Amino acid sequence: MEAPAISFVAYVRRTPLLLFLLVYTLVTGGPFLWVATMSLRTTPEIFAAPYAFPSRFHWEKFAEAWTKSNYGTYFWNSMIVVVTAVLLLTVIGAMGAHCLARYRFRGSRLVRFVILSGMILPPQLMILSLFQILRDFGLYNTLTGLIVVYVAGHLAMTMYILEGFFAQIPQDLFDAARMDGYSDFEIFWRITLPIGVPALFTTVTLNFIILWNEFLYAVVLLTDDDKRTLPLGVMHFMGSHQLDVGMLATGLMITIAPIILLYACFSETMIKGMTAGAVR
Amino acid sequence: MGVVAINGLTKRYSGSGEAAVKDVSLSVADGEFMVLLGPSGCGKSSVLRMIAGLEPITAGTVSIDGRVVNEVPAKDRDIAMVFQSYALYPHMDVYNNLAFGLRRRGIARAEIDERVRGAAAKLGLAPFLERKPHALSGGQRQRVALGRAIVREPKVFLFDEPLSNLDAALRVTTRNELIRQQHEIGITTIYVTHDQVEAMTMGHRICIMDKGEVVQIGPPLEVYRHPANTFVARFLGNPPMNLLTVEIEAAAGTVRLRLGAVAVTLPSWSTRALDGLRGEVLLGIRPEDLYEVGPPGDGRPENGRTVPLAMRVVAVEPLGAETLLVLVLDGCEDEVIARIGRETALRPGDEATIHLDTTSLHLFDPATTRVIARL
Repeated sequence: MEAPAISFVAYVRRTPLLLFLLVYTLVTGGPFLWVATMSLRTTPEIFAAPYAFPSRFHWEKFAEAWTKSNYGTYFWNSMIVVVTAVLLLTVIGAMGAHCLARYRFRGSRLVRFVILSGMILPPQLMILSLFQILRDFGLYNTLTGLIVVYVAGHLAMTMYILEGFFAQIPQDLFDAARMDGYSDFEIFWRITLPIGVPALFTTVTLNFIILWNEFLYAVVLLTDDDKRTLPLGVMHFMGSHQLDVGMLATGLMITIAPIILLYACFSETMIKGMTAGAVR
Repeated sequence: MGVVAINGLTKRYSGSGEAAVKDVSLSVADGEFMVLLGPSGCGKSSVLRMIAGLEPITAGTVSIDGRVVNEVPAKDRDIAMVFQSYALYPHMDVYNNLAFGLRRRGIARAEIDERVRGAAAKLGLAPFLERKPHALSGGQRQRVALGRAIVREPKVFLFDEPLSNLDAALRVTTRNELIRQQHEIGITTIYVTHDQVEAMTMGHRICIMDKGEVVQIGPPLEVYRHPANTFVARFLGNPPMNLLTVEIEAAAGTVRLRLGAVAVTLPSWSTRALDGLRGEVLLGIRPEDLYEVGPPGDGRPENGRTVPLAMRVVAVEPLGAETLLVLVLDGCEDEVIARIGRETALRPGDEATIHLDTTSLHLFDPATTRVIARL
């Protein structure tokens, strides 16, 4: 008779935590579910009953948003910018992090400080100078310009995460590879990168999510409609289709879908990467 | 061939005032098993890493087969190293861990396969070739690390405390395995350890280091029996050698050692060894040179090897195969440890007559700590 009593106590003890999680899930997941239901309803339906469940699923709204409302263009612009930026961030960030984690050279601490201090600068502070620089180089209002800004802006955080992970790879592995005859670059390519896969997944996922939702740089540095990324597209949609809440919700779902897919695939690897080394 | 010669090797790390390795010179013959022994921080691993080419040399030279290799990169020194952490590549299976170094050297695929499988068979790793390191036991990982060195067929093996991560039982079997492998392969080996048992059992010669300097080099038993100073005397042997401050006195053709209130008359033949030596010295006595039961007719130095000493038992430590006694001499504050038979009836507080073997005494200079005489 003792075992059920213990489990009951444990259950009671867990109740506050469960309640907290329930409230938290409602607060964060509720709005998302609401937008998801709205994306399948028409605007008149929504105005008639804002919180109702769809009486009929209007899947055709997605096709309409994709073709008639230019979401297809915004989506591919976002894809090109974010995928290229994340790719460059991963390669450059990993190389930089490997150097900071492995080599002690004259001024290495200063280099590390300067690079990582990039993290503390708010984007608003740099936006004017970036605007001027991109204009000078003919990169204003181009996807390439936005990619360059994204890579520069997120390199510090990428290196910070990767360096923390790479620094935990035992020096003996690198010494062993050196004795096995491998050059510094081969050691980076064949030892650091494969072992650092969990951390790389973390930075890829984080950067993808952050850049996919990035608004400030995009709104300042892009002006042409056919160059806009998804967050700009959503905003533009709000302006040109006043109060078309239904279509706005459909556009938001198109924007969010890739992120959710990415997170669902890599969340476990990402958490592994972020907590690696925390428990030995 | 694999003759390693180190001459005046010095290492000074940036930001550190004192040199980690000071003017170390030694030579290792072809096929020899040399053990670098010393406490943590004595510089033995730094010496090994400089031989390997993993650490820049501040001063001095490292030569392999007569060629100075100071400026030769690690990969071109034809040396293989087994690390304390094993340094197995975690993302590769055992086969690829073994083959990784060979691939870089442009060896034909068929030969790599032959060498890897040969080494795996020799080390009992054949069933685990497709496993990743995390799926292996400590002993198996250690063998993979050894296998990775063996497949390279280098001139010299370097081992950096390779057994320290194993449990006590596995350490003994792996130690014997290493000795057998080195004997079979016959490749020059330099082995770093702080474990005196490994040093005593594995090495053809031991090089004992302290504070970055070589203190003594020699075959294990010779170093054990003839320690060059008190550091070696205390470092080799468990329990360590007892060191007591004594006074040497000469009286009527005999020599006496005064230990507190007791004066030990040494055998007449030993007086020659102490010729002209007077005053305060450090007396070194190995615990196994103190006996509970002396030979018949004992007590007369001219007749026997031992002299009886009246001592008080402070503690008794039965270890199963033997018993350690912690003793104090009358009028002497220093404690002495004796290793005696397991059947002793002595108990703490007992007064006992302990017999000192006067043919195995070591005398050290209290100022320099170097050995003065050995009886």
